Amino acid sequence: MSELQELPDDPGAVKLPDADGRVPVRIDVNGRARTLRVRTTQTLLDALREQLRLQGARSGCGVGMCGACTVLLDGRAASGCLTLAAVCDGTDVRTVEGLEDPSGELSRVQEAFLRHRAFQCSYCTPGFVLALEALLAVDPSPDEAAIREAFSGHICRCGSYSRIMAAALEVAGATDRREQA
Amino acid sequence: MLHCRLVRSTAAHAEITAVRTGDAAAWPGAVAVVTGADLAARGDMAVLFGPVLLDQPVLAIDVVRYIGEPVAAVLAEDPAVADEAAALVEVDYAHLPAVFDAEEAFGSDTARLFPEPPERDPSFVDVTLRADHERNVCNTFTVVKGDVEAGFAAADLVFDDVFDSPAAGAVPLETHAVVADARGDRLTVWSSTQTPYITRRQLALLLGLPLNRVRVIVPALGGGFGAKAYASVEPIAAALSRVVGAPVRLHLTREEEFVTSTKHAMRVRIRTGVMRDGRIVAREATAYYNAGAYAVISPRKVMFGAYGLNGPYAIPHVRTEAHAVLTNTPPAGAYRGFAINQCAWAYEGQLDMIAERLGIDPVEIRRINLLRDGDTFCTGETLDHLRFHDLLDAAAERIGWDPDEPVHRDGDLVRAKGISCVIEGTITPSTSTATVRLGPDGSVDVLTSSVEMGQGIRPALAAGVARHLGIDPALVGVSYVDTDLTPYDQQTTASRSMYSMGGAMGRAADDALHKIRELAADLLEVDPADLEIVDGQVRVAGVEQQSLSLGEVVRRSQVGNVIGEGTLVTSGGLDPFTGQGVGSVHWHQSVGAAEIEVDTATGHVRVLRYTGGVFAGEVVDPVGAEHQCEGCLVFGVGNALMEELVFDQGQLVTGTLADYMVPTLEDMPRHHEFELMEDPEHGEVHGLGEPALPPIAPAISNALYRATGVRIRSLPISAEKVLRGLRERRESEQAAGQVDEVTSVGAQG
Ligand code: FES
Ligand code: FES
Repeated sequence: MSELQELPDDPGAVKLPDADGRVPVRIDVNGRARTLRVRTTQTLLDALREQLRLQGARSGCGVGMCGACTVLLDGRAASGCLTLAAVCDGTDVRTVEGLEDPSGELSRVQEAFLRHRAFQCSYCTPGFVLALEALLAVDPSPDEAAIREAFSGHICRCGSYSRIMAAALEVAGATDRREQA
Repeated sequence: MLHCRLVRSTAAHAEITAVRTGDAAAWPGAVAVVTGADLAARGDMAVLFGPVLLDQPVLAIDVVRYIGEPVAAVLAEDPAVADEAAALVEVDYAHLPAVFDAEEAFGSDTARLFPEPPERDPSFVDVTLRADHERNVCNTFTVVKGDVEAGFAAADLVFDDVFDSPAAGAVPLETHAVVADARGDRLTVWSSTQTPYITRRQLALLLGLPLNRVRVIVPALGGGFGAKAYASVEPIAAALSRVVGAPVRLHLTREEEFVTSTKHAMRVRIRTGVMRDGRIVAREATAYYNAGAYAVISPRKVMFGAYGLNGPYAIPHVRTEAHAVLTNTPPAGAYRGFAINQCAWAYEGQLDMIAERLGIDPVEIRRINLLRDGDTFCTGETLDHLRFHDLLDAAAERIGWDPDEPVHRDGDLVRAKGISCVIEGTITPSTSTATVRLGPDGSVDVLTSSVEMGQGIRPALAAGVARHLGIDPALVGVSYVDTDLTPYDQQTTASRSMYSMGGAMGRAADDALHKIRELAADLLEVDPADLEIVDGQVRVAGVEQQSLSLGEVVRRSQVGNVIGEGTLVTSGGLDPFTGQGVGSVHWHQSVGAAEIEVDTATGHVRVLRYTGGVFAGEVVDPVGAEHQCEGCLVFGVGNALMEELVFDQGQLVTGTLADYMVPTLEDMPRHHEFELMEDPEHGEVHGLGEPALPPIAPAISNALYRATGVRIRSLPISAEKVLRGLRERRESEQAAGQVDEVTSVGAQG
């Protein structure tokens, strides 16, 4: 389930907007330090897509219900549409673009999704992939219930759920009820 | 590039008395504010569009007809600025009588959406209009077979029921998006459309351009499911781009998406006459499609409902009629399953009530009535390649159907099974064209205007062409759509692409092979007739050592590339007054069986298991086929249990994904399987985008009926309705003292 990020404890960490109504933020995005000037109302999703041109996180609902905008915020799955960019100063953000290693090799989770053809239109895929990555980071061999919990805030309207589960179970090392793709 | 934010109507039906744009135009960063009146005043473009009737304004002119209708557009380089400025536009309305229910709108004395009949788009030739704008009707379609009055007179029992399906959203996860660039004397649009060629035609008509100066480019879509068929956002972006002389982008929010294209709400009044032995002898049904405020594709859709109401049964006497009725709600459009979902919801629900009343098992009553080869459908067509009985028997076996199985009870939890069968056509007539291009290195380009929206048409076409040419699918590349480059295709809807585009592609591959054979004959100095092409190799028949690969033939004959072209045109059509003719080139046959559990304390229904069976002809891409079926299950479970666009006086109250629920993993049955029945001898590929869907909601509802005796007549099957049904049953049982289940439930009609 995507979670709202808490505001920093130290209120001084939130900078005041400049004359244009923008605040500077430094975010480590996919391992690269980036400095952005964002509107105080701008979402992290919007900043990533429009300013950094990272379009792996997608908007499906804008209200935290679909999971398409999921990113890893300091390692935890978060809804980009509900997170204000202005409060992300000093955070570490990872999007689906940042999952492959420097040699261009895809992550285990990405490979499993490909192997299982766990998508149709693939609009939802980055969200599911990152939700699973976040889960695996805290629990390297989650059981089916834990995976279902991690996916509970994610919608796949095309209906690729079975193959998504099969891919996830394979990565988790759990036994797969279904035959492989 | 400028971003567009729309100002939308807050009135369901009203005259626009003033639009005040001054504050918005003065907002820092706002580039332009445009109203419908501004567009009309220019005189350099048409201001109405629609695939059949030219009834929908690009931006409202004088009148608004639904809440959410675009009234004005604000353009800015920064989308946030466009949002802020749009909030400053003020519109005054003088309210007109509004109507929201299709049956009420049908011939309403108080509310009329169009005082004058709209013009029709001259190029949409295959729809005969029986529109009656004075009665808010944008089309009617009637099917007549036999003598329905005589049929009812001879019947032992007659059942008369009303079933409702609500408006719903297709909810592609990616909403509609378009960029239009009308600079110069051309128009280029990058669009999320499922109908590139129809959209091109609509835009050309709108801007007064020849077709070849309108270019529609369609990248991969984040889902479509019908909602992205026909122009909707494209005319707005195109018109605005012409006004401001800059590229314009419009990307809908989820709230906007919900009011852009809906599944038709539909009421079906259905009367069925049966004999005591279970035979259906007469059916009369009327469907009221709620078309919303503009016709869009409703004039064509009534045909599908009119014959669809017959169901997959051999009924000697039939009269069915479907009316598409305009109301002050958002326009309804294409939606996965056409209107067959709503029809099946009615006739399959009623059939289980009939079965109970007659004391016949639900599977058995279907066996008695299902169409068989040689039967005449209500359209007058003699049907063949029917596999309904096989599909039904197999589904019954998979779900473990036992006519004598008692309902399982475990405290408040009650479990039971339900079954349902559906027939559905595909768009007929229809046209697809395709090009296959063989390169000197052996790679192959497939040029197609079928839209990839997640349904897997590209891998499926690649697999089909590779098989045709006898080469590795990895050598085949399938294009995305660009109407400047990819040849004509009618549309990517109605589960037609695998059959229609697949067929055109096969012909294109054959054409390419024919040319290869001629070229190879020259190279090898033999007669073309002596050559055979096996596994991508051309060789003199019987002489294996003398063979050339396809690529070698292209290279050595120095033709650059070999281009094969193919066209598939199906013909047919039905008379709109009698429904007689050719309804479909083939019939989708589909059966579903569900096992559900209902919590009688909360009314909550869970689908434990679902199994479907579809006659697939031939499966080209098994994984893709599996995906399509599971996609249908998401829609079926959603339609059955949760999805509804709820309107209050025309105002949508379930307009976000926090209010409008769609199935997540947890809502899906833990077990599901689909049988794709093949008929390799017949060798015909059927599309699988929709056929698995329509039986799902009725199968779930029929299972609930067997579990509890509660018959839900209006979707979705919410916990509230189930609880109400249970309470009513308890009360009527108490009142009757002793329960006569049959009369308390089945015969009320
Ligand atoms: S767009 Fe953020 S959860 Fe849907
Ligand atoms: S694959 Fe399309 S939404 Fe999941």
